[in-house]
This record gives sequence, structure tokens and C-alpha cells, in this order.
Amino acid sequence: MNEGLKEKLEKAFPHAAITSMRDTDYVVTADKESVLSLLAYVKDAGFDHLTLISCVDWIDEGEFELVYILSPYMKDNEQISGNEKINLILKTRIARGNPAFQTVTHIFENAEPYERELHELFGVHFEGHKRLIPLFLERAYDIPPFRKDFDTRRYVKEVFDNIPAIQDIKA
Amino acid sequence: MDRNKIGKWLKQPAKMANKYSLNAVYFCTGCGIIEIPPVITARWDAERFGIIPVATPRQGNLFMITGYVSLKTLRAIIRTYEQMPDPKYTVGFGSCPINGGMYWDSYNTIKHLDRYIPVDGWIAGCMPRPEAVFIGVTHLWTLIEKDMANGYLRYREHYDQYRGNQEKLLGKLDWPPLYATGIAQKEIAA
Repeated sequence: MNEGLKEKLEKAFPHAAITSMRDTDYVVTADKESVLSLLAYVKDAGFDHLTLISCVDWIDEGEFELVYILSPYMKDNEQISGNEKINLILKTRIARGNPAFQTVTHIFENAEPYERELHELFGVHFEGHKRLIPLFLERAYDIPPFRKDFDTRRYVKEVFDNIPAIQDIKA
Repeated sequence: MDRNKIGKWLKQPAKMANKYSLNAVYFCTGCGIIEIPPVITARWDAERFGIIPVATPRQGNLFMITGYVSLKTLRAIIRTYEQMPDPKYTVGFGSCPINGGMYWDSYNTIKHLDRYIPVDGWIAGCMPRPEAVFIGVTHLWTLIEKDMANGYLRYREHYDQYRGNQEKLLGKLDWPPLYATGIAQKEIAA
């Protein structure tokens, strides 16, 4: 386990809370202003692979939680030693009403489809993203479908149950 | 060849040929497609039943919908189905095309496949075993023999309703209607 990185992070970002769920990961909770600099910092520190961006809908607290999961490509990185693969989980919270955040595509280029996905499924707007167009969905939904207040059963009743069965009318 | 069937072959050669040369469109949707490789390869060997996968829908006459159908897949399914030459047979495979299955309250998965394209038979299960595919195929033979596998005729007859349902869900389709619709269809029928 790389204790050096934890200390370096704590020194560089005193406001970020660094915990650990198990031996092989760090969980860094930061405010949204310091996320971009944190990502650039840990990229230089060896976490050069953005595995995933995810989003959690905390509807009661009125917030979205963005989760960036990073890992080093090489196990024997000069900065990260040891045989275990270490993940770094970076969490930040943004307001739920009119959610917007900065894009990270200039740091990690592969964030582009992840941000498009979150834009489509949670309605989070990423400022500076060059191509924020729908990724998977065919229909337009009034509420993005992965939000907690999207009522799937009501939607199914309104849309799919309204398609009539084929009537076999003989003339 | 089965000698008992010589009479049938002489009487209705076209129908017998239809029965024993089902060319399945290699169209993968959902999780059921994982059952198709064992069906067509050595262990269960679908070629015993005259089923062989073909590369393009223009060569195929058996269309298996092997699992849940999302809206995007439905668009591709309709296009594929309309390209197949008559006579063509559709089989819904697994419980998801029948009534949604475990995706019954999903926001992006259609629930009843037979409201968008005609379906000749269903193979229930989640997932059906390869044996169930062959039971389904032998049932399809019976249906073909009795002229009951008439999905392509129903599609032509009720094209207004099918196209209406498709457009109701997918919005305006970007390809022209396969058959005459609206008033023109009624004139042809009359």
C-alpha cells in the first residue's frame, strides 16, 4: 500500500477527505472546485486510466454525486509500487436542480462517452464538452430516466401499454 | 431422406422445401443469442433440421428474436424483417419478447413484440434450452404444413396497424412504407 501518495494528497489538498474502504483503494471526497486540479494531480501521480464516471442521485439531499474511478495502467509504476492494483475513487457533489459541472475531457480524453451517458441518463450538463449529444436513447424523456423521481411504471403504462394489439378484422 | 415422406414431397414440393430449408437470419439481440452458437454447432447441430444461419436478411426466411428488444433494436428488427423475402417466419425466443419478461417495467424495452411485427411462434423460457429451439422448429413445421405460419400475410393485410404502432413508438420512420397504407390499402383490399 502506497502511504506516500496519501500524504502527498493530504498535503496538496487539505480540504479533501481521504478514506479507504479496503486495502486496495482510496476514496477521496472533494468539493467541486478542486476536482479538476485533483484529477490532473493524480494523473501525474500515476493514475493514468479513468475507468469510469458514475453518478448517484441523492434526491433527499438535493444533490448529485459524481464518482470518478481511476486506476494505474502499469502495476509497477515508479510512483505506485506493490503488486496489488490500486483504485482511486474521487467523489464530489453538485446541486441537483439545474445540474452542471466542468468537463474533464481535456485531462482524460476517454471521459467523453461517460459524460455523454450521464448527460443523457441523469441530465447533468458538462460545460466545455464538445459533443454532448444523445448516446443510447431513442426517445426524448421529460425527466432523464435514471433519476430517482422518474416513475418507470407510470411511463410504461403511458407509453408501452398504450400501443394497441393488432386487431384481426376480417372484411 | 425419409421414405415415408416421398408422397408429401411429390404432392407439395414447394411447401416441403420451405419446411426443410429454414435459413435463420443471424441477428443478435438480447441475451438469448448465447444459446444460438451451441444450437448451430456440432453438439446440437441445427443443420439436421435444415436450419442454417445466413449472413444477410435477403437470404433468410427464419427470424429469431432472441431476447429483450430495446427501442433501438426494434428499429433494426423492423428494417431487417422488411428486407426478408416471402415467405418468412418469425419466432420470439425467450420470455422478454412475449410480455417484457424481467424488463416489464423498463423505460426503454418494448413489452409485446407482436404489436410491431407479426410473430408466428413463441419459445418460452428464460433462457430456453437448445432442445426447446428444436421443439419450436418442429412446431413451426406443423404450422407451415397447415398454412398457419402466415405472419407475412398478416403483415401485409394489417400493415396500417403495424406501421401505425411502429410510428407511435419510434416517431417518424426514415424509410418508406413496405406496402400501401391508408386509403390505398383499403382500395387494394376492395
